[in-house]
Amino acid sequence: MSDLAQLVFSGLAQGAVYGLVALGFVAIFSVREIVNLAQGEFAALAGLSAISAVAAGVPLLLAVTLVVPLVVAVAVLIERTCIAPVKRMTPLVSIILTLGVSTALKALMLLVWGPAARGLPQFPGRDVVLAGVSIRSQELWILGTAAVVGAAVVWFYEHTLHGKALRACAEQPVAARLVGISPRTATMVAFAIAGFTGAVAGVVGSPIYFSSWEIGLAWGLKGFVAATLGGLVSLRVAMLGGLGLGVLENLVAGYVDTGFRDAVAFLVLVLVLVVRPQGLLPKAAGVRV
Amino acid sequence: MAAHLRHYAPFAALALVLAAFPLVGSPNLVNIGVYALIYAIAAIGLSLLMGLAGQVSLGQAAFFAVGAYTHAILLTKYQVPGLLSALVGVLAAMLVAFAVGLPLLRLRGHFLALATLGLGIIVSVVARELTITGGTSGIFGIPKPEFGGRVYDSPREFFWLLVPFVVVGLLLARNLVRSRTGRALSAVNDSEVAAECLGVDTFALRLRVFVLSAGYAGVAGVFYAYWLAVVSPEAAGFELSVQFLLMVVLGGLGTVWGAITGAVAVQALDEGMRALIPRLVPGATGEVQLIGFGVVLVLLVILLPGGLAQLWAMVTGRLRGRRTSVPSSGEIPTAASESAAVEAPAPTSASLQDLLDPSAVPERGSVVLAVRDLTKRYGGVTAVDGVSLDVHAGEILALIGPNGAGKTTCFNMISGVLAPTAGTVEVRGQRVEGRRPHVVAALGATRTFQNLQVFRSSSVLGNVKVARHLRSRSGIVRGMLGLAGREERDVERAARAAVAALGLAEEADRPVADLPFGRQRQVEVARALALSPALLLLDEPMAGLSGAERQELATLLHRTRDAGVAVVLVEHDVDAVMALADRVAVLDDGKLIALGRPEEVRTDPAVVAAYLGTDEEADELVRRAAEHAAEEVH
Repeated sequence: MSDLAQLVFSGLAQGAVYGLVALGFVAIFSVREIVNLAQGEFAALAGLSAISAVAAGVPLLLAVTLVVPLVVAVAVLIERTCIAPVKRMTPLVSIILTLGVSTALKALMLLVWGPAARGLPQFPGRDVVLAGVSIRSQELWILGTAAVVGAAVVWFYEHTLHGKALRACAEQPVAARLVGISPRTATMVAFAIAGFTGAVAGVVGSPIYFSSWEIGLAWGLKGFVAATLGGLVSLRVAMLGGLGLGVLENLVAGYVDTGFRDAVAFLVLVLVLVVRPQGLLPKAAGVRV
Repeated sequence: MAAHLRHYAPFAALALVLAAFPLVGSPNLVNIGVYALIYAIAAIGLSLLMGLAGQVSLGQAAFFAVGAYTHAILLTKYQVPGLLSALVGVLAAMLVAFAVGLPLLRLRGHFLALATLGLGIIVSVVARELTITGGTSGIFGIPKPEFGGRVYDSPREFFWLLVPFVVVGLLLARNLVRSRTGRALSAVNDSEVAAECLGVDTFALRLRVFVLSAGYAGVAGVFYAYWLAVVSPEAAGFELSVQFLLMVVLGGLGTVWGAITGAVAVQALDEGMRALIPRLVPGATGEVQLIGFGVVLVLLVILLPGGLAQLWAMVTGRLRGRRTSVPSSGEIPTAASESAAVEAPAPTSASLQDLLDPSAVPERGSVVLAVRDLTKRYGGVTAVDGVSLDVHAGEILALIGPNGAGKTTCFNMISGVLAPTAGTVEVRGQRVEGRRPHVVAALGATRTFQNLQVFRSSSVLGNVKVARHLRSRSGIVRGMLGLAGREERDVERAARAAVAALGLAEEADRPVADLPFGRQRQVEVARALALSPALLLLDEPMAGLSGAERQELATLLHRTRDAGVAVVLVEHDVDAVMALADRVAVLDDGKLIALGRPEEVRTDPAVVAAYLGTDEEADELVRRAAEHAAEEVH
């Protein structure tokens, strides 16, 4: 019983990281219908940069708070230099383009930080054991941060005028322009938000799950699967989907075989797309003809 | 004969160049060349998937690995003869593609891309975990192939072994692009809805191309296993999938030839980066060549979306002193740009009568279309509200009503573009509501579109040929082998007849995108007629036409009706409708408020109140608004 509770709890922490990455997919897709394959790289970049900052003597929490805006700036830069110049963005083009960005970022990280995976030091706090479940303080940091960031992003997109207008860009570009939001700005803001959630995932996750040049691939895929559960448009379902996926992975690793952990995401993806391609939302978000 | 020569000459030239290469290249260079050819085979498959089916796979290496592993296991653990194990390896790759494509190809492109990426991870996980695949170290000790007393164990020998596979693989792929399947899929890339309304089953065709593409990857995997003598989980790696994708994009998505040039260029880039990067960044290890891959991919999409093929076209164009149109950033060409006209046949005198196949037209006066209680709701808004009507063979029914009355929504539900919320649609006795458009088209019902849906990357004739999809049979295999010559000539003849019927004969070979708006509308009508329909749905066919053109179209529609076709049209020009139609149906606010002969409807009090206006002034307003709307679209 405590085995199960342990697996579920640590799965939730891992899943919160996927959820944060998933928020980034939704943040961009709901504004511009682009699946940003470089989403996982934002997390890897943030983790690795923070590790270097700490190694250079910057206090941990300061390093973490400095790295996040840095990655946001990188995300905006990517949008300006690689996404904005493209006039006709079809799914095919967007995939090739963001794959290129993702590959270049990955290779750049390999050149700067080398192939080894490493982790940030744990955030301050003490590990506890509660009813036979050992709880690491870092896991609490992850869950707490994910809750705060998730709530903030949901609030921004659903309850502020600017956020609602951003999403309107995807539905009605012309109408959005009429009320003063240009789709160009909207895409840039969406990338900034995606960079933010990715970076947060990268720094809070690094002490336990490590950062490396290639971790972005797995995190990105899992974040995408979580986002798919919400039809790529629901922030809440994406976050919950991330949590669920983390738990499921841990259960498979615990009860079946650790090696098959990475297979779970793919199976969930195919299953969801077969059963409910529009996501798990009760009401289908209509696909436009 | 000359055409045949032109057709095969480039392939013969390629074969000669490749055959000569091992004689002049150093063994090290030939070794790199072997990898370029192996990867080129997988890239040809991916090029078909991306250029033809418009789908992206980020897991081409997964199919490559399935082929390689299956072959290696059968060969080393079960002593299966090489040819048989290779065949099974290729089939295994295709089978996996079928299983993955079946659920995923119905969805939008993003999902296939990410799912194939996941598949790559799965294949490596499975390969690492199972004993039969040899765990992390993989399978080794694969013997070199041996045929006719000859062992292909040196780079030179192996290169020669690969050449025929590459050349034939490329030829088959090019034939497919120019076949009936290629034409249909290129139409899908331009307008999926229009292609489906002409009977193209997008999903089935995409699935077949996806499976074929995996087959190419499987062949490449088999050679890879032979050449490397080792297969490890890295064969399914993401890096290799990126490499395949880069080959296709760098070579040029518009042409299958791009797979070859791309493979060579990427192998060169790969070797160059591996040599260069460690010098620039001391101590750099691992997959450092990826930096070049990523940067080149981004630059290509932004600066040279047509890849090396575009560069080649620009250079040769300049040499000939001609300007070539340069796609702007992001405008990736599709395989359509390659499909050339078959040998031009003599102009035929085939007429409309030939086109309207009497056997396809139902008995005059019989019910072709029966609509009952057709309803469409969007949330709280009811766009179409309980519409019931019959349309008979050999009549023209006009559907009129103010803007937003639900006319186009009705068309969408009848043609299968939209599923109704409630109600039934019967075409020639078959229930079709909620079915896909190609099912409706197969029953002989097709349509035109209010917002034009021409296949922009094709010529006028090319557009119309797509409509003969259901009247021709050849599938992927016949297409690849180039065995559909006679059928293609029939398609050409029928398409030319339809083009001539609309007075477009002189423009037949012009790119449709160059035509003015009104002419493009006529292309859509020609296209719909070329299907030899029993039920023809025309959405505002008169918009943008001159007075004379309207007159011609009216005559054509009368002839079409007289041949026994049921014609339904939505039209804003009330006077034109009253002169043209046998019966008029009036929609207002989603409801059918009148149905009858034109003179009855004109005086119907409900119609007068709702639509035609209660006095002269309102009538004039409506007419002006309609004209204005038409001009605006123009």
